[in-house]
Amino acid sequence: MIRLQDITVKFGDFTALDQINVQVKEGEFFTFLGPSGCGKTTTLRVIAGFIQPVSGRVYVRGEDITPVPIEERNIGIVFQSYALFPTMTVRDNIAFGLKIKKMKAGEIKEKVEEIARKVDLSEEQLGKAVSQLSGGQQQRVAIARALVTEPAIICMDEPLSNLDAKLRVQLRNELKHMQQNFGITTIYVTHDQEEALTLSDRIAVFNKGIIEQVGTPNEVYNHSKTEFVCNFIGDINPLTPQMVAFINQGGQHLDPGMNHYVRLERVAINPEEEGGEPLVAGRIASREYYGMYIKYTVETAQQTIRSIVRNDGLRIFETGQEVQLLIKPGDVMSYAPGEGGTP
Amino acid sequence: MKTQARWLKPENLFRLFGIGLFIYLFMGFMILPNWNTLTQIFSTKTADGRADPFAVIRFFFAGNMGTYVLNSLKLGVGLILTVNVVGISIVLLTEYFDIKGAKILRMGYMTTLIYSGVALVTGYLFLYDNNGILTTALHNAYPQVDKNWFSGFNAVMFTMTFATTSNHMLFLRNAIRNIDFNTVEAARNLGAKPMKVLWKVVFPTLIPTIFSLTVMTFITGLCAMSAPTLLGYDSINPEIVRLAGSSIADEAFPQARAALLSIILALFTIVLLTGLSAYERKGHYLSVSKTKAKLVKQKIHNPLANVLAHIYAYVLFVIYMTPVVMIIIFSFQTYGAIRMKTLDVSNWTLLNFFGQADYSYLTSRGTYRVREGAISGLFANADTLGGIRTSFILSAIAAALACVIVVAAVNYIFKHKKTGVWLEYALLFPWLLPTILICYSYRTYFNSNDVFYVGNANLYYMENVRLLIIIAYTVVKLPFSLRMIKAAYYAIDDELEDAARNLGARGLTTMMKIKLPIILPSVLAVFALNFNSLFTEYDMGATFASSYGTTYAMVMQSMTREEGLYGFNVNASGRRAASTVFVMIVSGLVLYLVYGVGARDLGERLALKEKRRLRRQKVLGKLGIKKKTDRVSA
Repeated sequence: MIRLQDITVKFGDFTALDQINVQVKEGEFFTFLGPSGCGKTTTLRVIAGFIQPVSGRVYVRGEDITPVPIEERNIGIVFQSYALFPTMTVRDNIAFGLKIKKMKAGEIKEKVEEIARKVDLSEEQLGKAVSQLSGGQQQRVAIARALVTEPAIICMDEPLSNLDAKLRVQLRNELKHMQQNFGITTIYVTHDQEEALTLSDRIAVFNKGIIEQVGTPNEVYNHSKTEFVCNFIGDINPLTPQMVAFINQGGQHLDPGMNHYVRLERVAINPEEEGGEPLVAGRIASREYYGMYIKYTVETAQQTIRSIVRNDGLRIFETGQEVQLLIKPGDVMSYAPGEGGTP
Repeated sequence: MKTQARWLKPENLFRLFGIGLFIYLFMGFMILPNWNTLTQIFSTKTADGRADPFAVIRFFFAGNMGTYVLNSLKLGVGLILTVNVVGISIVLLTEYFDIKGAKILRMGYMTTLIYSGVALVTGYLFLYDNNGILTTALHNAYPQVDKNWFSGFNAVMFTMTFATTSNHMLFLRNAIRNIDFNTVEAARNLGAKPMKVLWKVVFPTLIPTIFSLTVMTFITGLCAMSAPTLLGYDSINPEIVRLAGSSIADEAFPQARAALLSIILALFTIVLLTGLSAYERKGHYLSVSKTKAKLVKQKIHNPLANVLAHIYAYVLFVIYMTPVVMIIIFSFQTYGAIRMKTLDVSNWTLLNFFGQADYSYLTSRGTYRVREGAISGLFANADTLGGIRTSFILSAIAAALACVIVVAAVNYIFKHKKTGVWLEYALLFPWLLPTILICYSYRTYFNSNDVFYVGNANLYYMENVRLLIIIAYTVVKLPFSLRMIKAAYYAIDDELEDAARNLGARGLTTMMKIKLPIILPSVLAVFALNFNSLFTEYDMGATFASSYGTTYAMVMQSMTREEGLYGFNVNASGRRAASTVFVMIVSGLVLYLVYGVGARDLGERLALKEKRRLRRQKVLGKLGIKKKTDRVSA
């Protein structure tokens, strides 16, 4: 569906994108994930046509659209700020693209009402000014405006970043539901890993202008290809050489010359079932209570290590309590120093 | 071939045309006329025709020209003190301290926003000149009071002190309202007494604004025109206008002297504005607060200080309001009552506004003569009506032109950051030059048939002078328009333009349908404010003094001349009072439309529409009328 081939973008001497290659499948929900300044929005703007790459091509359904002007690309965008026109009503905002295409008034009316129904905007809301709508409603208007022209692709640039946490979770679900209903190929930009993991079919993790990994949420989380991805996605414990040596006492062969990490939920406290691996003795140093789960910081002879445990209401450890930790070597992710981006 | 084809594209041709037009306007109407003025100083000739480049400079040091400069400086320095004292105190009294009746006081202090310039000075004259209402009343009560007290330096200082506090009421008021009240509470919590808080916490945050206001006040004093002219004070601007209308037959090289005075004024302005911008570049005190608390008015706990503050506030209120109230009242009084300066409560009239009446007067032969219809109202007097019409048309055209030029320029400036800077500087250029220098330069430079780029037409000849006034009005209003409209442009989110382009809109459509509607309230506000200040503008009108371009302010000024003698200028005082009321209504209406109606966003407008619809429905319901289709709107 979309293919980016060797895309390089420079701003003066600064290389914003360096030889980006990625393919997005038809109907896929594809996310560009990465920290600020990593190049994810720049890539989106290259696809939309706002930025011309210094080299490389953009293909949509096999057609090279690199030289095609923005207004002729047929790519819908939902902007971070929604970019709703403040001097127009909701109806006029949605109809803007259709009017530019010089469609007949009756046809415009029909299309606007149809898309409004699909994104759950009422007739009354169509007559309102955009400033009179809530954040969630504004987001729906932005989506409707982007979809009404029936684009081949829809691009979303951090559309949830302006909303409060609760609404963000609610709209995240709605967004996924809408995308599935419309079946439209979607490119989604975010720096929020949770958002990326819950929404996406596949994720491209960006760092300093390159793509570190492309994969399903499970692949990037559990099988992070690079040290950067492993650090960026989710919370993680870097293991000290002492801890690695301790784990290797159980007959394992974690390479001491590599960097090793284990995710917090993979560190078990006082495990009920043991598999023969050595247990690390430690003492609970602090406890953070999150409701659904509890995060513990445990001091051991080898290092301070953090663990996250589902709150079952039965096993809650107290600060100062002596505990045993289990780190399975199979859960440890190992990277040669300097492999991929730096964490 | 490829390059040629690219340049022949319509947008590139349009851009080339724009650049060419801009260079023509900038060189032709900003640089060359003013350069001509500068060179005039050094092109004086002796009686036998020899060039004497330093003659006027020698004259300056030998003659009394220095007095005009010193007088202007004296006025500027004096006003810094008085305007800041009055300006800061009225803002503190209405915004910072808890003074009873602050809302009413604020309205009184803000009257100068709708009543300024020549209208205000003629209003003050109405009250305070040698047969003014208050002077007459004072003299009747205390015969030792000098009837001519209101003239010269003191009168100019008094008038301008109260006339030029508008900027304090706008900008200092905003600055004080932006103070984070938590900082005041924190200082109090740390043990500071209220006056200490004011001095150590509040004042420092206001200093940048006060500094800017001080510089602007000084420039206002230096460039004062209407007050010194009407109240008789020898300062630079009235002297330039006088010299501009003089000839070599009357005195030594008047034009070169006018040019020298204009350049001196320009040098002062440039130095001051450079200093101001250098100071502004240093940065201001910025609030680091993420959650600003609204300022809570401070009670004055000391009972004596509280009473004194109230007395001071209301004395100022009386000074501000008396001319306004008196003029409104007397604008509805008969010709006789106004002439005698006595209120006749049994006899009210609209004659000062509309209609005519006969005027009878005693001749030197001891007989009475009647001039039919000589007492005329504002809208029945041909001269006044002509002045209003001229000012209305010229101001509206110039105000609109300034907006159109600036909107196009700002669009370019935001698109082309590098070359746009030069365009911006060019449009700000008139700020460096005093208005009087620009007008004087136009008057002398274009008073010739040799300026090729205006088709060798003499623009200071007959009706052409109106075109010259429009150009001058437009040029003078460019810097202000640029500052305001550029600020509005910053409010346009870049993503809106991207969104419009993404939805298929090209540059012009995006400009007309997206950007312009967003900045339109600001553009209309700038248009209205430009129009307001030009409608009663005096300085430029006086410099271009011509029977083909007699502006409203010039007509108002003529109303201060002696009236009634042999039927001359009859009912000028009545028309003057009515004119001031008319100006106040126009200015007030414009400000209401700008800040009241124009400032509403689409949401507010739709909400009001819905409110009106419901009200209409209610009324129709009461009358038992039902609409067939009552469309549900937002």
